Amino acid sequence: MSKILMFHGRECPHCKKMMPLVDRMIEEDKVEVEKHEVWHDEKNADLMRSHRDIITPKCGGQLRVPTFVKPESRDAVCGEMEYEKLVAWAKT
Amino acid sequence: MKKYWRCHVCNDIHFGIRAPGICPTCRSENAFLMICDREAKTMLEPFCTSLDEPGFRRSIEELADGSEFRVNPDKEKVDSLIEGVFTNESNHGLKYCPCRLTEKDFEKDLKIVCPCNFLIHETYKDVDDGECWCGLFIKRR
Repeated sequence: MSKILMFHGRECPHCKKMMPLVDRMIEEDKVEVEKHEVWHDEKNADLMRSHRDIITPKCGGQLRVPTFVKPESRDAVCGEMEYEKLVAWAKT
Repeated sequence: MKKYWRCHVCNDIHFGIRAPGICPTCRSENAFLMICDREAKTMLEPFCTSLDEPGFRRSIEELADGSEFRVNPDKEKVDSLIEGVFTNESNHGLKYCPCRLTEKDFEKDLKIVCPCNFLIHETYKDVDDGECWCGLFIKRR
């Protein structure tokens, strides 16, 4: 299973809602997730921007948070979602 | 391209592609002439005021009043969003949406200043219980 990048914002309520689900996925499903907060860390913001071509076609043409990226398969998904949907996407 | 315009009767300043036909302040007709950015900045600077959080809350309530959308009644969510908007203004210069990220392209980034033009968001448009991407505004039922 490939590593997943999670881009999130500290004050974004959707990110706050997704965080426990991501932690559960790491713990229970052994998915490797690298979390990157983008509004308070410019390096993380630039990392997210560097994946613009993967993210924007899947996220309304914008860089939105939360966003999950699988760099190896060049896939991305963004926004709040059910736990099962997130895990299914992560393991595909 | 947008330019600055000044009402020669009351010194109202407008920023847009064309001059307003009627001055919204003094109601004079055909009273605007084009001015340069520096002149506009000089005239506006003494009147610059900051908008605190209660002021911003009043402002978005007024925007929603009588519209097809309203401010989300989820207080916790709205509080978090407004905290993010003001943190971004403090750290990055404008009230950027905390649920998106700037692209380092000023014109593009203006599109994510809160409130944005969320009426075109796929999460709002043609969705019965639509809301803007961040969830600050939701469609009235």
